[in-house]
Amino acid sequence: MSGGLSDDRTLLERIRRGDADGAEELFERYAASLLRFADRMLSDRETAEEVTQEVFVKVMTRAHQYDGRAAVSSWLFAICANACRDRRRRDRRAIVVPLEAVPDLPSKGDGIEARMDARGKRLAVRQALALLSEEQREALILARYHGLPYSEIASVLGISVGAVKTRIFRAVETLKARFSEGEASWNAVN
Amino acid sequence: MECRELTELAMGRIVGDASPAERDALAEHVGKCARCAADLVALEATWEDLGADPGARVTPEFRAATLELLEDEMVRGRVRGFRASPRASFPLWQAAAALVVAASAGFLAARGGLGTREPAAAAARAPASPAAAAASWPDLGGAPRLSNVAYRSDEPGKVGIEFDATTRHSIVGTPDDPRVSSLIAYLLSNNAETAGEKSRAIELVSENFGPGAAPASPEIVSALSTTLKRDRNPGVRKKAAEALASFRSTREIRTALLDSLANDPNPGVRLVAVDALAAAAKESPDPRTIRSLREKAFDPQENGFVRARAASALKAIDL
Repeated sequence: MSGGLSDDRTLLERIRRGDADGAEELFERYAASLLRFADRMLSDRETAEEVTQEVFVKVMTRAHQYDGRAAVSSWLFAICANACRDRRRRDRRAIVVPLEAVPDLPSKGDGIEARMDARGKRLAVRQALALLSEEQREALILARYHGLPYSEIASVLGISVGAVKTRIFRAVETLKARFSEGEASWNAVN
Repeated sequence: MECRELTELAMGRIVGDASPAERDALAEHVGKCARCAADLVALEATWEDLGADPGARVTPEFRAATLELLEDEMVRGRVRGFRASPRASFPLWQAAAALVVAASAGFLAARGGLGTREPAAAAARAPASPAAAAASWPDLGGAPRLSNVAYRSDEPGKVGIEFDATTRHSIVGTPDDPRVSSLIAYLLSNNAETAGEKSRAIELVSENFGPGAAPASPEIVSALSTTLKRDRNPGVRKKAAEALASFRSTREIRTALLDSLANDPNPGVRLVAVDALAAAAKESPDPRTIRSLREKAFDPQENGFVRARAASALKAIDL
């Protein structure tokens, strides 16, 4: 997440005033992070894109509701987390991890074997994340992939710092058990 | 520290949240406890392994579609902001009993225009200004540019339109008056230039025509259909689709909506088309509509919202 605190607030103020360029700038600044968050939460690229679009539309219509108590990035993640929960509740479907949902890394110079291995590992990570409860997954994704400190995760999720710690270390324990099933867990998907 | 605290302290260290004292305690403990040392390695490896998933990337298609959606939303926000606030007092509007046209003498009367009101009706109202001695409609035949258009709804059941031609006009009429319909269709299809102007004209239509109000004239339907097909702004097209959707379905409206469902690049506009077509098809299932909804429901390239809505619409239609 780029963009300083005051920059973000100025940006939101521009959106409030109906500045279309402000909306585009907000998209450029946060779309990638929000899309990745939604994609990992929902394990479905298409749904993640729809949810990310919903988040930006909500920001357009609710910019006036931002009260400045949390960072704009936290506010955006909070909207996104709520949108993901709503979507999952609405869809009421188990997390599926289609292989095509897991993006390929740029693999200049890698042989097919290495690419297959990387692809397998990405799929294994998605499958492991899908084992976690929604609450654990939210907290873990914000910490691991977005580098948010515990206090900001607490602000995004509306819980205490203690609860954040608990969720993350339980999540990591689950993942450790999954991954330490040995190389088999990585290799099983290849 | 105790062994059971390992994960919490290790995670604190990994995410940079551990205090120096906690780091020291952790280091000291794993130096003495082989099991915790192995666990720490496993935890760090797990954290590292999670990095094997790089996450989704923003594609150019997603970027373009989202920015279009945001522009649409921004236009709608501006349109909401543009709505004329009720003015405190305006004797002409309060007094008008039927159709009022206030214009400067000479110009419009000389051009003939759409016709004039009966003298008795004209005499029953006060002129907008000392210059407004004659009542006449503007002549739209020469496609004049009407500027500073404002819409008023001070009188229940009447439409108020103000604009400048060569002078300021203030017109109030019932929506079913053909001249009012013609003027609105003209404003929408010939005169409005910006998205805001078009949106306001469409809003006027939505507020005054349709269910429980006057039926929309063919001119208005045609103006909206053309706007839906050709306007570059998705927000304007969506408003046009919504207005058409609120009218009793006709062949022309259905054709316009089917065309929009098949060709409009904006999923928000296509969603309105799906809903409108589905509602009409519930009353009278039209084979072309059903076919189009089926195509959308099963089109893997279609937006997920549109697909889902088309599928549930089909379920709701008694085939």
